[in-house]
Amino acid sequence: MSAGDRDGDIGDLFAIAARELRTVVRTPAVVALSVVFGLTVVAVAAAGSGARGGYVPLVLDLVPFVEALVPLLAVALCYRAVLSDRESGELDVLRTFDVSRPAYVGGVYLGRGLALVFVVFGSLLAAGATVPVLSPPDPTFLALNEAADSPVAFLRFSVLAVLFALAVAAVALAVSAAARTARQAIALAVGLLVAFVVGVDAAAVAGLASGNLGIDAVPLVLAASPNGAFRSLVLGVAVETGGSTSPVAALAGLVGWVAVALAVAVLTAWRPVE
Amino acid sequence: MALVTPETTRWVAAATALVFVLASVSFVVPASGSVSPVPFDDTVKTGGTSVDVRTAEVEGFEVPLAQVHFSRYRYIIGYYDVTTAAADVSTPESARQFGDPLAVFVTDYATVSPDIDDDGSLRTEHNRNPGWTKASEASFVVDSGARVPSGPIAVPFSDAGAARSFADAHGGEVVDWATLRDRAGDPLSSRLTAFESSVAAHHEWANQTTAASDALFDRPVSTVVGEDAPTVEAAVESAPANTTVYVPAGTYSVDAVELNRSITLLGAGSDTRLVGDGNGSVVHLRAEQSAVGNLSVSGVGEVGTRRVRASNESVDWDTRVELAYGRGDAGIVLDGANESAVRGVEIDTPASGIIARESADSVVDGVTVRGADNPSDGFMGVVLIGERSVVQDSTFLGGRDGVYTHRADGSVIRDNRMEDGRYGVHQMYTSDALVADNVVRGDRIGVVLMTRPVGNLVVGNDVRESDFGFMPAGSDTYVADNVFAGNDYGMDVSGDRQVYVRNVVAGNGVGVRGSSTFPTNVVVRNDIVGNDVRVESSLGPMRTWTAGGEGNYWGDLPLGDADGDGVYDRAYQPSGVVDAELGREPGALALSESPAVRALRHARDAVSGLRGSGVVDAAPRTEPVRPETLAALNATEETDD
Repeated sequence: MSAGDRDGDIGDLFAIAARELRTVVRTPAVVALSVVFGLTVVAVAAAGSGARGGYVPLVLDLVPFVEALVPLLAVALCYRAVLSDRESGELDVLRTFDVSRPAYVGGVYLGRGLALVFVVFGSLLAAGATVPVLSPPDPTFLALNEAADSPVAFLRFSVLAVLFALAVAAVALAVSAAARTARQAIALAVGLLVAFVVGVDAAAVAGLASGNLGIDAVPLVLAASPNGAFRSLVLGVAVETGGSTSPVAALAGLVGWVAVALAVAVLTAWRPVE
Repeated sequence: MALVTPETTRWVAAATALVFVLASVSFVVPASGSVSPVPFDDTVKTGGTSVDVRTAEVEGFEVPLAQVHFSRYRYIIGYYDVTTAAADVSTPESARQFGDPLAVFVTDYATVSPDIDDDGSLRTEHNRNPGWTKASEASFVVDSGARVPSGPIAVPFSDAGAARSFADAHGGEVVDWATLRDRAGDPLSSRLTAFESSVAAHHEWANQTTAASDALFDRPVSTVVGEDAPTVEAAVESAPANTTVYVPAGTYSVDAVELNRSITLLGAGSDTRLVGDGNGSVVHLRAEQSAVGNLSVSGVGEVGTRRVRASNESVDWDTRVELAYGRGDAGIVLDGANESAVRGVEIDTPASGIIARESADSVVDGVTVRGADNPSDGFMGVVLIGERSVVQDSTFLGGRDGVYTHRADGSVIRDNRMEDGRYGVHQMYTSDALVADNVVRGDRIGVVLMTRPVGNLVVGNDVRESDFGFMPAGSDTYVADNVFAGNDYGMDVSGDRQVYVRNVVAGNGVGVRGSSTFPTNVVVRNDIVGNDVRVESSLGPMRTWTAGGEGNYWGDLPLGDADGDGVYDRAYQPSGVVDAELGREPGALALSESPAVRALRHARDAVSGLRGSGVVDAAPRTEPVRPETLAALNATEETDD
């Protein structure tokens, strides 16, 4: 592959990413969903007792909601991205420009991913900003226990939430590339959502109960689902309550989902003409 | 949308990537600061008794301290006692409230050559200040005979050799931190035992003091007013010491009756009426073992308080209060009259009833004081200043405060009835007093403790139809077996290290008001039922009102108790917007079972010490602690369904 090809690929990638961003902004349903997501996250901060105390309790308040809502948002953004291009014929038009599959899939992922990152990170930062507003000032006559709470924990949590969102988005993108009909896409997307949010954890519990799974293997099973990996990372790295298990497995799990899902998307976007 | 070009997308993507690279630096920055010892004054003190520390400051002996840095509490927790810290740090309650102990530091005596004096007090060579050491690396000498006023202490050393030589010199055993923790008993039960024995000791002292005053009313009659002397004043002038001046029934105009000898002024009952001239006080007791009994007093002056002139700035507030409250007009004044008694006297007064100044071991027994109709016009029923006394079986109607104490440490105020005044019992600068079995109706506050007292005992009182049932300040108060019913506010949980057990708080506007900043008070085994608002709490972090697996009774809640252990299966947050209505509004139950509320509840139960204010009971009871009392009050939760 020549240098010119690579420049061309990257140019294609950003052109497609720009197109995706425009599409997202012009889709009222997605904008509405993003607003609902942002409001929900801030409302949880306001409704819970965490934001009135510190960053760590706010993280713990937000974890279950982020775990359920971020995959929903990511799937909503991506589950038909490639499929709708294919169904509308835009994909065929794009192919006449000799766009490579990685450039196309990368562009779609980048464009949708950027939108997702703005919504997730922005909402979480807004929720985090309620802490200094809602918590009472510290009395000056007492020594502060600096080990107890820190905005660093919240920043870590936010970065992990973005990583989690990107992993689920990649999976949803793979669904949109692999599915041949809208019905297939929605069935696959909902199936994966249920598996991530409930299924893998429930299966792990069932495995423990039946004795087929040792407690030692639980971190690995959790690392195998984006939700489990995200949760392990938050508890183990962001708020440091989960003991001393190495975060490597969970991190590898998240990155692995991105890599595998994007590879599937590239391979299934279209069949290359020999 | 012309703005979103491939070129701008490049920039946006690059900027976003940069933001995340920068945000990811947070994984390199340590999230938790360093854990190192802080000055003890800067800690939140809990556990152990501050009485020891106050005494130590005066007498210069050592109190080994501990400070604990928890993973989930904003401040450092200080303990006045190493053993209490050992017992406390690993309980489920402290884990729930404060998180895991990251580090425990204890006073280190390894380099300051400690010694034990004849009283068992620990002293360092040349009064050198000890430093801090990590408890996990320290050695502790127990049973060495070293003690503080409240009991024996463990002495920590950073160096095992120093600990051994201390044990060799003074006896005792050297143990490590883990052993100390294993041996430590339940921190609450030992406190309760100490409080109960203090209550018993106070009652015993009051019984003995009262019994000793019986002799004052058995003195032979030497002088009968109207037979041996023309006036009451003349009779008390001439009567020999240790005799009785008898005043037959009748009305006697008196100016100022002064008992300057140990005599007893005894009437024939309420038909013996001493009537003052409406100026100043009527009867003065200025001698030890003097007494007044079986008569009525009226014609008291109207001056409740003689304020110190504001220009005199050398007078501190303490003295100012003492002068202001102790120098007004009263029916009977005890002035330096140790071991004196007032018994069976009825007093009508526009100012105070009885003022006892610096009169140790005096007894006010079976007295009735009728004060001003309007509390702000009148003054105190009984004022105790400066010494320990007994006030019992007396009735205080109207006026300002039923019993007012000022530096009357150790006093016993029991079995009295206060009605329609300002405060039933009002303590200022008074520690270690017993306020027991008093009945208060229609006051502004039933029992109020002000000015940071220590170690008061408030037990078995019954306050109703008042604005506030009970309001404490200070620390280490034992609040037990009281009934606060039908008031605007039942009881206040404020101050530090207070213990509230077995109180019935029923049918008040607000049951319990939590108004302390730090979560060091213990509130367990109370029945808090039928209040419009169960708990009002806005200051400080989330508090857990559970200890040793025991919580409070909040009424018949629509929660499960699958294992039938008498404790509902989930924690209950009486101050929470949803839980507050549980058992009253059917909607609250449905809302409380929603995934969102469940998720928040689950999260709430972690890291309480860092959360916003409120109260959680981790072990809410399914059955009341005092069912008979509740039944007598007819107190139940009202359900709107």
